[in-house]
Order: sequence, then structure tokens, then C-alpha cells
Amino acid sequence: MATILKAENLEKVYRVGKVDVPALRGVSLAIQEGEFIGVMGPSGCGKSTMLHLLGGLLTPTSGRIVIDGEDLTAASDAKRTDIRRRKIGFVFQRFNLFPTLTAEGNLRLAERIHGNGADDPDRRREVLRMLRLEDKMHHKPLELSGGEQQRVALARAVVNRPAIVLADEPTGNLDSENSAIVLKMLRELNDRFNQTIIMITHNPEAAEACQRVIQMRDGHIVDG
Amino acid sequence: MRSAISILGVALGVALIMLFTGLAHGMSEDLQKRSSNVSAEIIFTRPGSMQLTSSSANLNTKYVELLQNIEGVESVTPVIRYFYPSGSFGVDQVEGIEWGSFSKMNNIRIIQGRAPSATDDVVIDETKASRNHPVGSTLKIFGDRQYHVVGIYAPESGARAKVTLASLQESLEAPGKCTFIFIKLKNPADQVAVARRIEEKFPGNKIQFTREVFATIENSIPGLNIFLRVLVGLAAVVSALVVMLAMHTTITERTREIGILKAMGASRRYIISEIEREALLISFLGMVVGFALAWLAGFGIHKATGLIFQFGGWWALTAALIGLAGGALGAFYPAARAANLDPVNALAYE
Repeated sequence: MATILKAENLEKVYRVGKVDVPALRGVSLAIQEGEFIGVMGPSGCGKSTMLHLLGGLLTPTSGRIVIDGEDLTAASDAKRTDIRRRKIGFVFQRFNLFPTLTAEGNLRLAERIHGNGADDPDRRREVLRMLRLEDKMHHKPLELSGGEQQRVALARAVVNRPAIVLADEPTGNLDSENSAIVLKMLRELNDRFNQTIIMITHNPEAAEACQRVIQMRDGHIVDG
Repeated sequence: MRSAISILGVALGVALIMLFTGLAHGMSEDLQKRSSNVSAEIIFTRPGSMQLTSSSANLNTKYVELLQNIEGVESVTPVIRYFYPSGSFGVDQVEGIEWGSFSKMNNIRIIQGRAPSATDDVVIDETKASRNHPVGSTLKIFGDRQYHVVGIYAPESGARAKVTLASLQESLEAPGKCTFIFIKLKNPADQVAVARRIEEKFPGNKIQFTREVFATIENSIPGLNIFLRVLVGLAAVVSALVVMLAMHTTITERTREIGILKAMGASRRYIISEIEREALLISFLGMVVGFALAWLAGFGIHKATGLIFQFGGWWALTAALIGLAGGALGAFYPAARAANLDPVNALAYE
């Protein structure tokens, strides 16, 4: 399996007033294509900071990130946005769907941003079918349950076939039944499409769905 | 709701441009149209006796006979033009004329009723008659003094209301005086030569060619064009500020959505273009509403006050461009600000 993501000695220091607050203190990891990785650790250990750095939403204070052969840390802001657009799909704890758009509209927006003239109704339908949402494609987020909204968010993240899906506590706002459904979908995406997934979670049951679990503490990877 | 206020803001700017320019052009066109029915080629008057909105009767009517004897002159007729406060808005004007010579010279005729003869008789044109002033009604010109509408004349020429010269002389306590004298020539092509003769014979008076006076009414109003341009500029600033404020609020409310767009890989250009597209749609709707508002307001004001609006294509185009450009420019700063938002902070925005 090829290495799809490599991070070397990542450090991130936030400046809060006149105080430097280190969030990551030298994190290195390598993710292989098709891996389903769980990231666990106590609050404030640097999980979300690491996910934002890997997704190009933040720049590290030092260190290097290479995604699918492209150096994210050496890229300009515009180039980083471009890499994110082409290679990364995000799933958030709070779903973050556009409330005025239908489920399909949210997917179409992702296609539009991705560009390349992408407007593939068959692909949208296929993804929504796989996530058991075919009959909900014309519903707006407020007409869907929490689990359904998160599945739409998942569909939006994968509709452009990103190299990596980064999920920040995707089951954090769901009850156990819907959590199980979303985890099953993530698993299915990983199995059927060899989709690489990095998922932050506090939930041990969610971690069980992953092939490998990285444990973090105080800005370090302590296991995995 | 926010979009509706933005649309109204742009509409206000567009409507203001249309109404101000429409009123200026409508009134000057109307004045020009009525003036063009004057057949006289030369106006003889005293320096300073006739301004745009004021006049005085300081020309001796003895000149009527003297001018009649100048070679090349066919007919002459004396006129007093008097401006008086009219309703709540502005001023109106009345002319004191000798009906016989004036109507003959300018080919106007009574189409209903009779010509004025008594000092409280007044004849009016069809436009004024249509505003609830039929023959037999009364009209106030000097304070509470009532004038009886005894006739309606056509075509429109000069002031809409005309009384006898003697009546205005009496009211203004100016016996034997007038404001100016119209001079009609036997051969209009001779007007320069005749004017020279009049100048030589009666130096110190003012001689104007009617073609020059009436052709330049709009240009002769001091600073009208500058005034209109300033108004147009202000309307543009109002439109831009309203859209800027609306877009600024929109973007603050949508900070989280912009964070999502950035997380999805939306470029700065994409975010700016999306916001600009929305602003242009708002501006376009504002423009349409603005045109409708201007038309309705113009119609209502005309019905209530008699002011005339003439909406020109060129100014409509200018108003449309200003509405659209004001919206696009007003949205640019908020759009650029949104495009530069930090995605992580934007996603955390509550």
C-alpha cells in the first residue's frame, strides 16, 4: 500500500495574548492508502489541531505534511486551498450542512466548488443510495434526523472522491443508534471504495470500527 | 427581510435619480414646449426685468407704438409676466396680455368660453383646466383675490394662466408698464438686421432672440447639470452603502457557512464571486423596484401638484448602471473580508 499522507515532526504553537501555548509538540505519522484511522485522546491533547493541520485549514509552526505527493506546508494559501479542494473531504461533529439547500443541493455545491465542470447526478445518486439517502435527496437538513444529516455530510465529503476523509467526531452529536449507522457507512466507504479515513473520536465503540487507533496526549502521539 | 431592505435601499437610490432628473427634464421640456408656440422672433425688455423665476414690470408700454414703426416689424404685443406662490410647492406664473394682439401674433384661440376682458377674468390652457379648473370656476392668483375662469385657450403658450394686461398693471400698481414686448417680423430671416435697428434706436434696452432664449432653457438654469450630477452621485453612494451594510450583516451572520465553504476548498475568487452574484441580483431587483417606484411617485406627484416628469432613456440607463455598480462595489469589501476569513475561526463561529 502506498503512503497517502505523511507528517514529519509537526509542531503548532498558538499565541494567546503574550503567551505561547503549544498544541502539538512534534507529531509524526504516516497513513497508508485505504486505512481507516481513529484518533483518540483527552480534550485539549491536540487532536483537532492535528486534523486541521492535515486538512490544510491551519499551517504548522514547524514540520512538514505531504498529501498524495503534494507538500502542503510548502504551499501558498491559495495552493493549500486547491489541495484541500482536490484531496480532502471534511466531516464535522455539527454536520455543517447548508440549511437552504436540499441533500442533493449540498452535494451539488461540493461538486461546483470542486470544479472541472463536475455535475454528475448519477454519482450523487450513487453516493446517496449507498448512504441509504436516495429517498431523502430532495429534503432540506431541517427535514432530516441528526443521523441522516450526518450521512448527507458524509456523502458531501466523498462525492468528489477525495484522497482522504477527515472526520472530526462525526458521531459526537448522535445517539447510539444513529452513531452505529454512521460508523457502518464509514466502514462501508472504506471497504468498498478503499477510502482513506482519519476520524477523531471519544467513543470506544467508534474506535473499534477503525483498523488502527492513534492515541494522543499533551500534543504527542503516545500510541499507534 | 434583510434582502428586502437591501432591495429597497437600491430602489431608493434608483428612484431618486429617476425622479430628480425626470422632474428637471420634464419641467424644462414643458417650459420649452410652451415657449415654442410663441411666434415672435424678438423679445424687447429692460435689463434684469425677466429672470427664470421672477420678473418685474419696468418697461414702458410706449415702446409698443415705437417698435411697431421700426422697419421690418409686423406686429408687437406687450406682456407682463408675474410669478406667484402656488400651493405647497414652488411658484406658478401668470401673464397679463392684450388678448387681441397676443392671440393674433401667436395663433392661439379660445376653444371654450371667451377671451378675458374684465380685471378679474382669466383664461387658462387645457392642462391647467384638466386639473379641476373648468370654465366658471375661480382661481386665486394674488393672495385671496378670486379670478373667474372665463375661457380655455389652445395651443399652450407661455404661462398657463392669462389675464388682461390692465388687470396685472392694476394688481402690481404698474400703470403703463410691462415686462417685455414680443416683436414679430415680416421676414424672420431679417431678425439680426431688425434687432440692430432696434438697438440703434433704443439703446440701453435688452434685445433677445426667442430661438436662443428657448433653446437654452435647460442650460440657462445655473448649475442644473452639476446639481443633477451631484444628486446622481449621492444616490450612488446611498445604494452602495445600503448594499455594503446588508452584505456586511449577511457575511457576519454567515461566517460559519463561509468557514464550511473554505473547508470544502472554495477559493477566494469563488467566495467573492458568490457574494457579488447575490449583490448583483439584489441590485437588479432594486433597480426594477426603483423604476416602478419612480413611475408611481412621478404619477402621484403629477396628479397632486401638476409637476411634470419626463423619464429619459439615458438617465434610466445611468440609474440602472449606478444601481448595479453601487451594489457590486458595496458588496466588494464585505466579500473580500469574507474571502480572507480564517477557516478554523469561521467554523467555530456561533
